[in-house]
Amino acid sequence: MTVQMIFLAFFGGAAVWFGVVVFRTHSMVRSALALLFSQTAIGAMFLVMQAEFLGVLQIMMMATEMSIMAIFMVMFMMDPGGLGGMDMSHQKRFSIGAGVSAAVVAIAVALLSDWGPAAEQVVDAEAQTRALGMELLGRSMMIFETAGITILTAMIAATAVAIPVQNLSSKDDKEASE
Amino acid sequence: MTMILILALVTGAILFGIGVYGALSQTNLVMIMMGVELMLAGAMVNLVAFWRFLHPEAYSGQMFVLVVMTVMALEMAVGFGVAIARFRAKGSVEMEEAEDLKG
Repeated sequence: MTVQMIFLAFFGGAAVWFGVVVFRTHSMVRSALALLFSQTAIGAMFLVMQAEFLGVLQIMMMATEMSIMAIFMVMFMMDPGGLGGMDMSHQKRFSIGAGVSAAVVAIAVALLSDWGPAAEQVVDAEAQTRALGMELLGRSMMIFETAGITILTAMIAATAVAIPVQNLSSKDDKEASE
Repeated sequence: MTMILILALVTGAILFGIGVYGALSQTNLVMIMMGVELMLAGAMVNLVAFWRFLHPEAYSGQMFVLVVMTVMALEMAVGFGVAIARFRAKGSVEMEEAEDLKG
C-alpha cells in the first residue's frame, strides 16, 4: 500500500463521512459546514491524485459556494438551528433503496471492469497547467466558450427569476385614478 | 496500482449514492440541491481518477471536470433564484407544499 493510497483512503473516508453528516444533522448551518468539509476533502483527493490545479480550484470554489449556501439555508429554513428537532425528510425507505442501488451498481462496475494497467507517473503541476490551458484554448475551445455563455445565461435567468413580479395592470389603474 | 483507481471509483460511487438519497429524501429545496452537489462531486472524483490513472496524457479529462464544476455553480445560482421566487410567492421552500407545480 503506497503513501498515495493511504492519503486517498483517508480523504475519501472524510468526504463520505461528512457527506453522511449533511443529511443526519438537524442544524442547517452544521449541514452546510459538513458539505463544505466533504467538498474540501474531495479537493484534497484531487491534490493526492496530482491534479493540483483542479484541487485548489475545488477547495476555493466550494468554500465560497457553501458559505453562500449556509446564508440561504438560515434565511429559508423554518428551523435553521435544528433546536426543534424537525424531521424534514420523506419517502425514506425508497430513498435509501435508490441510493444504495445506485452506489452498488457503480461499485460493481468499478470492481468487475478490466481497467488495464494504471499509469505510474504524471507530469509536474506546471506542465499540467500549461497543457490544460492549451487544451482549453485549443481543441476544447468551443466547449469552454459554451460554458462561459451558459454561465452568463444562468446569471441573467437567476436574476430575472428572483426579481419580484410587478403587477402592471394594478399599477396602470393606480396611475389612472391619480 | 489498479487498486488505487478502484479505491477512488468506490469513493465516488458512495458519494453518488449518498447524493441520490439526499436528493430523493429531503423536503427542502436547498437540501435537495445539497444532494445534487454530492452526486456531481462523486462524478468529479471518478473523472479525476480516470484522468490520473488511465489517461494522464489526455487533458480533455480535466476539461470535463471544469465543465462539471461549472454545472455545480449554475445549479446553485438558478436553484437559489427559484428558491427566492418560491419563498416570495408562498413563504416557504418546502417541496411538499409545492404540489401546485405538478401542472
